[in-house]
Amino acid sequence: MSEETIINRIKEAHRDQIESATVMRVKRLSVVVKNENFIEVAESLRDTFGFTQPAAGGGVDYPSENRMQMIYYITNPEDKVLLTYRINVPRDAPKLPSLTKVWEALSFHEREAHEMFGFEFEGHPNMIPFLLPPDWRGGHPLRKDFKGEGVTE
Amino acid sequence: MTEPLIPPDVMRVSWGPQHPMSGQTRILLDIDGERVHKIIADLGFTHRGIEKILENRTFFQGVIPIERMVMADTANIGLGYITAIEEALGIQVPERAQWIRSLLCEMGRINSHLYAFGLQAEATGYFPAVFLWTTTDRTLLLDLFEELTGARWSYNFFLPGGVYKDFPERFQEKIIEAVHYLRRRFQDYWDAMVENAVFEMRCNDVAVLKPEDAIYLGATGPVLRGSGIAMDVRRDEPYAAYGDLDFQVITEQACDVMARTKVRFKEIGQSLNMMEQIANEIPGGEIRARASPFMRGKEAEVLSRVETARGELQIHLYTEATPNPYRVKINSPTLRNMYVFERLAELNEILVADIPVVINSIDPWYLDSDR
Amino acid sequence: MVEESKELRRNFDYVPGSGAVYNVIDYIAGWARKYSIWPIHLVTGCCGPEFMQTSGSEYDMERLGVLPFASVRQCDCIMVVGVLSRKMALRVKYLYEQMGEPKYVVSVGACPTGKGPFYDSYAVVAVDEVVPVDVYIPGCPPRPEAIIQGMMLLQEKIMKEKRIGVKE
Repeated sequence: MSEETIINRIKEAHRDQIESATVMRVKRLSVVVKNENFIEVAESLRDTFGFTQPAAGGGVDYPSENRMQMIYYITNPEDKVLLTYRINVPRDAPKLPSLTKVWEALSFHEREAHEMFGFEFEGHPNMIPFLLPPDWRGGHPLRKDFKGEGVTE
Repeated sequence: MTEPLIPPDVMRVSWGPQHPMSGQTRILLDIDGERVHKIIADLGFTHRGIEKILENRTFFQGVIPIERMVMADTANIGLGYITAIEEALGIQVPERAQWIRSLLCEMGRINSHLYAFGLQAEATGYFPAVFLWTTTDRTLLLDLFEELTGARWSYNFFLPGGVYKDFPERFQEKIIEAVHYLRRRFQDYWDAMVENAVFEMRCNDVAVLKPEDAIYLGATGPVLRGSGIAMDVRRDEPYAAYGDLDFQVITEQACDVMARTKVRFKEIGQSLNMMEQIANEIPGGEIRARASPFMRGKEAEVLSRVETARGELQIHLYTEATPNPYRVKINSPTLRNMYVFERLAELNEILVADIPVVINSIDPWYLDSDR
Repeated sequence: MVEESKELRRNFDYVPGSGAVYNVIDYIAGWARKYSIWPIHLVTGCCGPEFMQTSGSEYDMERLGVLPFASVRQCDCIMVVGVLSRKMALRVKYLYEQMGEPKYVVSVGACPTGKGPFYDSYAVVAVDEVVPVDVYIPGCPPRPEAIIQGMMLLQEKIMKEKRIGVKE
């Protein structure tokens, strides 16, 4: 199936639940979803549209617009198309549900995003320090206003 | 530390950060007698913060920290970043430069697979002789790298727009001689290692990963192809000169440790064929398009994929009208495979003595997963 | 052992020719120790493959007596090969305290010497903030000949010690 067909079918199925769905270029799609329907749309992408292979998850910080965006990268093994699944959260209260119920392998990536940006994932099974030392007191390194070096003992 | 509590009747062994194999990581094993119940991987001992420092480097300077992610095949990783920059800024690369890039990528892939094979030999039956054979064969490849680029491991040879220099004289004949020599040694390795009774006893039917589990848990690279699924970025989205080269995507059906070792082995054979084809058929032309070292970007967002020796690497690049990028997100293959390694203890019955063999079949490089 | 050798020297200073005997003993002890430095396997970063090529076939480090060994209680030297991150720096300090005297530290590569290409990173430390260092080997990665020259400098440093374990 071509990328245009997939995007049109996603738009028809979830018209009110997504903010936008676009084709970035050949074999790259992008879906931005509203915060209330995060888990539902993810489950339908996995079951109906065939996006079963999770690749990674990361975040981007936009301090001038007062939001942070969390992006998940999912692949469809038959059509070999890569989808970026995005959600915007406000910068002072970055809470969102965890996607480990839908794709289990995103657990490492959510732990890293919590350390680097400060996202709070509700329902994550195992949120313990991942890449930084356990006694880190310096803040969230990948935010744009991170000053200074790490603060440990 | 802050790990989960130890359940009753189980002993927790810490395979500490300093261990006689390569790399720094801490793996906690919950064992009961000889059987392993749970594996917990504690990563982060080689974390350097590459994503943050790339926001302070210009586009030409940014290749240097990214290349130091996996030292054994720096060509593939540097190529991922360079193709993202070229797509974001709209730079066209001449054809001869793409063929030279593919040549270095394949040589890097052989380098990395030989290293993995030497470590696997050391873990399986303690064959340090085979590890030293691989060291000697890699010396041949390192001398070729040094003649072309000036450095043995981290060459910084790819620029946005092409490559830095052309072939020196008689270089194509030297490549063909190296290919013939490595093909004879390939036969030696196959007889000594893969058809060996000790190797078969330790590797057959250990740590089986079924195809639907491999897709659902996000495996990539030889781990995925050893379970029978044919996904390879060089075939799905051809980049550099891979649209013109003929090679096969190797898969095996047995899904165990032996299958993954055989996949790496046969990929070395395919890479040798590609090197010979490039040395014979490379087109002429220019090697570099004009691009200034102080160029400013425009507002763009690009996601590029390449196939390294360990799996698929994705680079998501946000640029603005400044000389530095806004955000670089690196999706590394080893981080995906380490989750598969954690789940293997629950899908199979693994003994403590099998753990070195299983780790080396996943082929992790912890600098890649910690970035 | 350091205290006993000082005692012996002081007691025998009045005997004519004792200085010459002690010079010979120090010379033999230094010669024996410098040709059997056993470092520990601590490859923390990307200079690792170059270290393995140095102990391989073409630039054989073992003809100088340098054999990488696994357990830290039986080693003489820590070779910190590659980038040292904050989480690993605490472990290097533990390893240094576990080694028996006399002990040495060699820092291989540009990253442990002065942070290398990651000079403005929040998670990298230089080795001499954690343990005292004897020899620095620069390079990114250093060539095998440079690593061998660094080990030979360490050997000269061992020969120059007046009594065992007392560094000048």
